[in-house]
Amino acid sequence: MGHRIPVCYTNCGDGEKLTMTGAVPLIRLENISKSFGSVYANEDVSLEIEEGKILALLGENGAGKSTLMSILAGQLQPDSGTIYLQGQPVVFSTTEKAISGGIGMVYQHFKLVDAMTVVENIFLGQKGASWLRWKEMRRAVRDLAELYGMDVDPAARISELSMGERQQVEILKLLHRKSSILIFDEPTAVLTPREADNLFATMKKMIELGKGIVFISHKLDEVMAIADNIAILRRGQIVDKIAADKVSSTAELAERMVGREVLLKVDRQPLEPRQIVLKVTGLSDSVLKEVTLSVRQGEILGLVGVAGNGQKPLVETICGLKKPTRDRVRILGMDWARFFKNPEWDKALSYIPEDRQGLATCQGLDLLDNFLLTTRDGFCKGPWLQRETARNKAVRVIEDFDIRPPDINAFAWQLSGGNLQKMVLAREFFRKPRLIVAEQPTQGLDIAATEDVWNLLLKAREAAGILLVTGDIAEALALSDRIGVMYNGRIVEIFYSDDEEKIDLIPQMMAGLRSSENSKT
Amino acid sequence: MVGIRIVKRQAPLGFWGACLVLFSALLLSLLLSGVLLFLGGTPPIKGIITLFQGAFCSRWALEDSVLKAIPIFLCSLGVAVAFRLKIWNIGAEGQFALGAVGATWVALTFPDWPKFVLLPAMICMAMVAGGAWGFIPALLRQRLKTNEIIVTLMLNYIAILFLDYLVYGVWKDPTSFGFPMTPSFSDQAIVGKIGSSTINWGLAHCLVLGVLVWGFFKYTRIGFEVKAAGDSVRAAKYAGLPYDRLVILVMVMSGALAGWAGFLEASATVNRLQPSIMVGYGYTAIVVAWLARLNPLGIGVASILLAGLRVGVENLQLDLQVPAAFGGILEGLILLTVLAGGFFTYYRFERRKKR
Repeated sequence: MGHRIPVCYTNCGDGEKLTMTGAVPLIRLENISKSFGSVYANEDVSLEIEEGKILALLGENGAGKSTLMSILAGQLQPDSGTIYLQGQPVVFSTTEKAISGGIGMVYQHFKLVDAMTVVENIFLGQKGASWLRWKEMRRAVRDLAELYGMDVDPAARISELSMGERQQVEILKLLHRKSSILIFDEPTAVLTPREADNLFATMKKMIELGKGIVFISHKLDEVMAIADNIAILRRGQIVDKIAADKVSSTAELAERMVGREVLLKVDRQPLEPRQIVLKVTGLSDSVLKEVTLSVRQGEILGLVGVAGNGQKPLVETICGLKKPTRDRVRILGMDWARFFKNPEWDKALSYIPEDRQGLATCQGLDLLDNFLLTTRDGFCKGPWLQRETARNKAVRVIEDFDIRPPDINAFAWQLSGGNLQKMVLAREFFRKPRLIVAEQPTQGLDIAATEDVWNLLLKAREAAGILLVTGDIAEALALSDRIGVMYNGRIVEIFYSDDEEKIDLIPQMMAGLRSSENSKT
Repeated sequence: MVGIRIVKRQAPLGFWGACLVLFSALLLSLLLSGVLLFLGGTPPIKGIITLFQGAFCSRWALEDSVLKAIPIFLCSLGVAVAFRLKIWNIGAEGQFALGAVGATWVALTFPDWPKFVLLPAMICMAMVAGGAWGFIPALLRQRLKTNEIIVTLMLNYIAILFLDYLVYGVWKDPTSFGFPMTPSFSDQAIVGKIGSSTINWGLAHCLVLGVLVWGFFKYTRIGFEVKAAGDSVRAAKYAGLPYDRLVILVMVMSGALAGWAGFLEASATVNRLQPSIMVGYGYTAIVVAWLARLNPLGIGVASILLAGLRVGVENLQLDLQVPAAFGGILEGLILLTVLAGGFFTYYRFERRKKR
C-alpha cells in the first residue's frame, strides 16, 4: 500500500503489466477513449483495479465517471483502448459478458423487484435447474449475508425494506454471482449516516475477502475514510492517481479535483430579517406531528434530518402538491387554499425539488419549453404565448448561469445533473421569488457547482425567505441563519446557527435522542 | 467477433434522417405485403402497381382518394390532439358517428333554414355531439379512474348501434324501400363540390382546421400546457398546470373534430345518414396520427396515403381478385413498421468491432 501508481504505461511494451505491489490487477483499463459527437467523455484513461483495494473515483459532474463505468459494465463500447481481465485482454460487448467477467455494479437507483422477496430478487434471472429449492436458496443467502456481516431477512419483501437494506440486497445479488469487482456509484447518497457506516464495514469485509472495489462519490470525507487509492477524473482524463494516505486533507483532495482551491466556505453576511413569508402552525398529517415554523424574508432556515422523517410531506404541503388538513399554512400572508387558487408566477413561491429529472423538468422537451414551464404566465398575452420574447430571455439566462451545452434547443435529457440543476435554479430565480423551498439543492453536484448554487441561494436571500431542506449538515451550517432539526415527523428544535452548543447536539437530535420536551426543561 | 449492438443517440434523429426512416418503413411494409400477395398466388409487383394505379393514377382515383382522406384527416387531427397529452383516445369512430347523428338531427329538423345558418348549426351540433362522446370517457377517467382506451373503444360500439337504431327506426326514410337510411338532406344542408370535381368543400375545412390546430400548439398558452403535461404528468403538477382540465379539453376537442368529420361525411358525401358511412375512418385515423408523428402537415400527407390505399385495394380486388381484407393487412403492416422505425429516433445500431 501507499505507492503512487504509475500514471501511464504507454511505452512499456505489450507484456504482462504488474502493479507496484507485484500482483496482476483484477482489471486494467488501458488508454480507453470514448467520445460522444465531438466531445471526449473519456480520453486515454488508464486505470487498474486491484484485489483487496478500494479505488475511489472522483470527478466533477460530467467528468466522465459514468461513461467509464458504463464501459466497464459492458453498456458502452470504447472507441479505442483495451480492458485486461487478470492480464488477459477482453471485450465486454454486452452486460452479460461483463457480469460473467466478474464486474458487478451497485447503481444509485436499485434494480430490484419491489413485490418480490430478498431471495427471489437475488436468484432472479439466474440460469440453472428448473426446480426451486427454497430452503437451500434461503440458506445460501443467509450464509452469504453472514459472511459479509450484513443483516437481511431473506424472506422479507423488498417494498418493506429501508434504502440501506435494499442496497444490501443489491450487493448480495452481485456477491452471489461471484462478482470479483464491485462498483459503487454514489452508494451513500440514499443512506442514513448509520447505514453508510454499515456499508463501509461491509466494503472493508469484501476487500479482506479479496474483492476489488471502485467507489464513486462526491463526499470527500468518505473517500478519505475508506479508499486505498484515489483516481481523479477531470474533463474525461485521469489527472491524478494517488494513494489515499498521501493525501493530507479533504481540502487538498478538493483542490486536486477541481484544479483550484475550493474551501467550500461561502461568505454569509447576516441580513435584517423582514416580514414573514411562510408560517406553518401545528401542521399534522399521517407523518407530520404539530410542525410549527416560520421563515422571514432575508433569512435561510435550514431544515436538517435523516431523510424520511417528514421532510417530504412538509415540503409537498408547502409547495401545493399536497393539501394540508386544515389551514395551517400561510404563504406570503395568504391562506394555503387562497395562495394556490391562483398563484402568481413571479414574486411568489419557487420550489426547487430534489428530483430534477422527474419533477422539475420535462425530459423530452427542449430548454425553452422547460424554461416556460413555470414562467409561462410572464410571457402570455391573452391566450397567446410569446415564445420569441421568452426565447431571448431564456438564452440570456442560460448564458448568465453558464449552462452547458449553451443551446436553447437542447433537450433536458441531454443535460448532466449539475447543468440541469443550474437550469432549474436559473428558471426559478428568474421568477424573483419571495419564498424559496430548496430541497437537497446540491445533491449529486460537484464542488464547483455546489459553490455556485450556494452563492446563488445566498444572493436570492436578499429578496426572499428560504426554507432549505438538506441532509447535509455542512450545507445547512454554511448557509442557514437558523437551523431546525426534524425527527419522526416533528421539528425537534429550531436555533440560531451561531449557537455552538446546540450545533454540537444536532447528531443527537437527528437520531431522536433529544426531544423538544427535554430541551425546554 | 462481428455483431450488432444498440446504442442510444446523443441527440435525436434530425428531420432528413426521420424522413429516411419513414420511407424505409413504408418500403418494408410494401415488401412484406408483396410477399403476402405472392403467397396468395398474385404476382406481387403487378399487384402493387395495380394498387398504386388504382389509388393515384387517374383523375377519378385521385379525387376518390382525396374524398376519403377528408374524414380521415379530421379524425386524425382529433386523436393527435389527445395523443399529445398521452391520452389514448381510440374513440374517433364513435365520435365520428355521433357527429354525423348530431348534424343529421339539425338537417332533418330545420330543413328550411337558409344555408348560411343551417350549415354552421349542423357543424355546431356535430361538434357538441362528438365532443360529448369525448367528454364522457374523460369524466369517467377522472371520477372513477377508468382507462380511457377501454371506455372510448366501448363507446364506439354504443355510438354505432345508436346510429343504426336511428336509421332503422325513427329516422328511416319511408320511401327507401326498407333500406336503412334517412331521407335525403335538403339542398341547404349539403356541403357542395368544388367546381366540376367530385371533391367537396370539406377539403377547405381541413386546411383551416389543420392550420388552427397547428397554431394552437405553437402559439397558445394552453397548447404549450398540453405539450408539457403530455411529456411529464409529475412536472405538470409541479408547475401548477391544470392537468385534469387539460384532459377534459383535449378529449372534447378530439371528439369535436371527429364529429366535424362525421358532419362532412353525412352532408357532403352521402347527403343523408346511413350506416355505410361507418367504414373505420376513426381507426385509420390512429394509424395516420402515428405515421405523421402527430404533426398536422404530416397528418395531411398520411391521410391521403392511407385513403389511397383504401381506393387502390378496390382496384386490386376488381383486377386481380385479391380479397378486400388485404387493405386492412397493409394498413396494419404500415403501422407496425412505422412504429418500429420510431426506435431509430433515439437509438441506432452499431457494428461491434472485431478484436
